[in-house]
This record gives sequence, C-alpha cells and structure tokens, in this order.
Amino acid sequence: MLNEPFMQRALLAALFLGPLCALLGVFVTARRMAFFSDTISHGALTGVALGFWLGMPDPTIPLILFSLLIAGAIVWLRERTELVTDTIMALLLSGSVAVGMIILSLLHRRPGDIQRFLFGDILAVGPQEVWLAAILFAVVGTGLFMNLNDLSLITVQEELAHVCGVQVRRLNLVFVIVLTLTVAVAIRLLGIILVTSLIVIPPATARSLSRNLRQQILLSVAVGMAGALGGTAASWQLSVPCGPMIVVTCIALFIVSLAWRGLRPGIAISP
Amino acid sequence: MHLCPEHQGPLVVETRNLRVALAGRPILDGVNFKVPKGQLVALIGPNGSGKTTLLRCLLGLQKPSSGEIRLFEGTDIREALPRIGYVPQRIDIERSFILSVREFLALRMEKARNWFWHAHKTSDEMLGTTLAEIGVEELLDRPLAHLSGGQLQRVLIAFSLLRNPELLLLDEPTAGVDAPGEQTFYDLIADIQQRRKLTVVLVSHDLSMVFRHAAWVYALNGVICCEGHPEHVMNAESLKQAYGIHVSPYHHHHHH
Repeated sequence: MLNEPFMQRALLAALFLGPLCALLGVFVTARRMAFFSDTISHGALTGVALGFWLGMPDPTIPLILFSLLIAGAIVWLRERTELVTDTIMALLLSGSVAVGMIILSLLHRRPGDIQRFLFGDILAVGPQEVWLAAILFAVVGTGLFMNLNDLSLITVQEELAHVCGVQVRRLNLVFVIVLTLTVAVAIRLLGIILVTSLIVIPPATARSLSRNLRQQILLSVAVGMAGALGGTAASWQLSVPCGPMIVVTCIALFIVSLAWRGLRPGIAISP
Repeated sequence: MHLCPEHQGPLVVETRNLRVALAGRPILDGVNFKVPKGQLVALIGPNGSGKTTLLRCLLGLQKPSSGEIRLFEGTDIREALPRIGYVPQRIDIERSFILSVREFLALRMEKARNWFWHAHKTSDEMLGTTLAEIGVEELLDRPLAHLSGGQLQRVLIAFSLLRNPELLLLDEPTAGVDAPGEQTFYDLIADIQQRRKLTVVLVSHDLSMVFRHAAWVYALNGVICCEGHPEHVMNAESLKQAYGIHVSPYHHHHHH
C-alpha cells in the first residue's frame, strides 16, 4: 500500500488534514458553525463545475475561490439583511448545488467525475493538494495554537473578548477564511457531502472523554488523525470511496468513546 | 454626606449629551451620566430603556450617533479597557465546549499567556486571593457550561477582577439567579467594591435590589429621567410615571 505514490499522497493529505479539521472542529462546533462549514463545502460544487466549464483538468483553484465567495456571501448577507443566518446558509447551499449540477449536466460529464467530488477520492489527491494541505497544516495549526486564548474567549462571549482586548471582528474574519480554506482542500479526500463530518465527529468523540478543553483539543486531534489515516487506508483495501470510509472510521471511534465513558462512570461529565 | 457626582473629585465615567439611534429609533436621547471615583452607582430602568446600550457605548461595543464619552478623563475607550472589568448579563455557552473554570480564568491572567500549557500548573497561587474573595475555589475543575446561574455569575466576577480593574461594569448580573441569591450577590459586590476601593456601575431593572448599596442612582428611560440618592429617586414623581408600580423599596427586605 505504501509503495504506491498515489497512496503516499493520500495518506500524507490525511495526516495533515485530519488533525487540522479536528482542531478547528472544537471551535466550529462550540460556535455552532457546523452548518456554515456544510454550506461552504456544498458551494464548492459550483466551483468544480465552473472549473470544468473553463476546460481546467483540475478544478482546485475555482473550487477554493468559489468556497471563499460563498463564505463571503454568508458574512455579507448576515450583516446587511434581517434574514436568519440559517436561512441565508440554506439558500446559498441549495443554490450553489443546483447551479453546479445544472452546469455539470450541460457539460455531459461522466457520473464518476461528479461522484469523486461528492464523496472524495484517493486518486484525486495530487502533489498540489498535498502541498496545500501541508502548508495549511503548518500555518493554520501554528496560528490556532498561538491564538488559543483569544479564540477561546470569543467562543465564550464576543463582548467579553472585546473588553479583554481581543480584535473580535478581525479574529472572526480570519477564522472564517481559515475554515473555508481547510474545508476546500479537504474536499478532495472526503468529498463535498461528507467533509463537515471530519470537523464535527472528532470533537464530539473527544468530548465524551474529556474534563477540560485541553484534553478535548488533544483527543480531538488524535481522533481526527486516526480517523483520516485509518479511513484512507481502509478505502484502499476495500476499494470504496475515501470520504465514506473516513466517516465510518470516525463514527466507530465515537461509539467506542461513548462505550468507554459508559464503562467508567467516574468520567461522566453531565451533572 | 455629599455624594452628588459634581462634588466627588475625578470622574471615572462621564458621558455628555450621548445619543444612540438603532434602525432610526432613538435609544439614548441625550444622556449625561457621571460616575465619581470610588462610588457604587446604580443605573436602573425598565426593559428597553437603553441601560445595556449605554453600557455597550462605555465599552466601545456601540458607536454613539453623537455626544461624548470620557473614561478616566480620556476619550480613547480602547486605551481605557485594560482598567475595566466587565460582567455580562449572561453567557450562552454550547454544552459541548468544555472549557473548565480554571482554563477560563487562566485566559485573563497575564503570565499564563498560553493557558494551553500552563493553566494546569501555575494558576493556583495566582488565582488564590481572588477566588477566596469570591468563594469559587471548589468550582475550578468544573466545565464553565455546566455551572448554575449563581455559580457562573461568581466565576464571571472573579474573571473580571483578575487584572485588578479600577472600574467594574455589571450588566444585570443577577439575570439567572433566584431572589435570595440575588441579594447575597449584591452584598458580595458591595463588599468587594469597598475592600478594593473600586468604582462600580451596576445596571439593574430593579431599584429595590440595589437600594441598600448604591450611593447614587440614575433612572434611565431614553434620557436620565431622574437621579439622586436611592431614597430620593425612590420617591420621585417622574420615576413613578416611568415605572408605574414597580418602585417598592422594601419588597425584597421582608425576610431579613
């Protein structure tokens, strides 16, 4: 398995993206932004379709740009309209999936081409994706750790964070951009439909076993890495799409965490 | 005893003709608000009277349409923030976020710049005095999201005091606390204020709760409709008009 160059690339991407998504996920779930992540990943479908339409063999650039555009649209509409954020996101999600599918149908792409973006594909991870993942991992991972204080504070309450001297608007903006870039790059491995699971499931798994945020962050990163690597390897063994395999692996870990917690009532956290 | 703001030396908070309009509706319509150093001043008013908006202006969270704000006799709010402690009305934390009380408090301590590595080692001695004062030592390892309303308010007070602020702003701090707990809480605040010689602005919907401790009361309803000693404000005709039947100073003291 490790002798195949495509497999080396896929495992490297999983090694970088699993922990990064899991670390971001701790704050994404606590800030109730899981649907936000889902919306920008689905927005990527239009980016993929536009890339094909422009004749690009590899639509990574339009995919990332369109995800950023959708993220910007959510933020802009939330500030400028009276609409509930969920409404804005549901509108953009369904809208971009619809436009993407219409363009792809008109282009008469083979269903396999579309499916590999919907559910992830080991073969789709090229050297470019591995480099992107590595750079994101290094830059975003370091940035998150340097700003854990401020990020924790805005998660507790933005007003309180402001009074403590945090530049709330700027930090929120950076967080949205970082999340969007990570989701866009992880789509190659997990697919548009399933990418958010790597952000949501590891923190939930860690949550059942942790007593404080530090434990939750460390465990979440470990679960993200194990789920991404295990799922990618299993996907090769079983010749099934990569995204579903990673999700199933993460869910298996989640169930184990629940059982573990059930067996050790001393750790039970809920009062 | 002259507690009138004009006779109390330096003003820690001063607003001049402060106006705020939200979506075209005036919320604050020319508010002059003064807090002298070392005093506990109460800001009362019914729901929607602009109390929280005034507080948000003082913290730089809301831009006034016009008027002037001076904190510690300067006009730069950001510069004044390190000298301010703030206790929000309530915080709404997702239950899945298990920041412990110890980790939360470490976020406010200068030396624990990165709590991730240090919160669990160094915080005990640094927190010691503040925690003993407030009485939250036993909560240190509980997740913040699992505390009761009263426990959470105590932790928020401890948090606000960690950098030794000179001015403490409390926005309806007893919103999630039951009535007996409420009075105990105000006693605690008055006690801290005296011990630490703090300047305190206490926002409340209910004058009777702050009656025992406030040196000066501002009654707000878009404008300052009445100000003075609690006894004076309590009997003011203008206040009765603004509040209807809610002014009854002795209501909460029967059980003492």
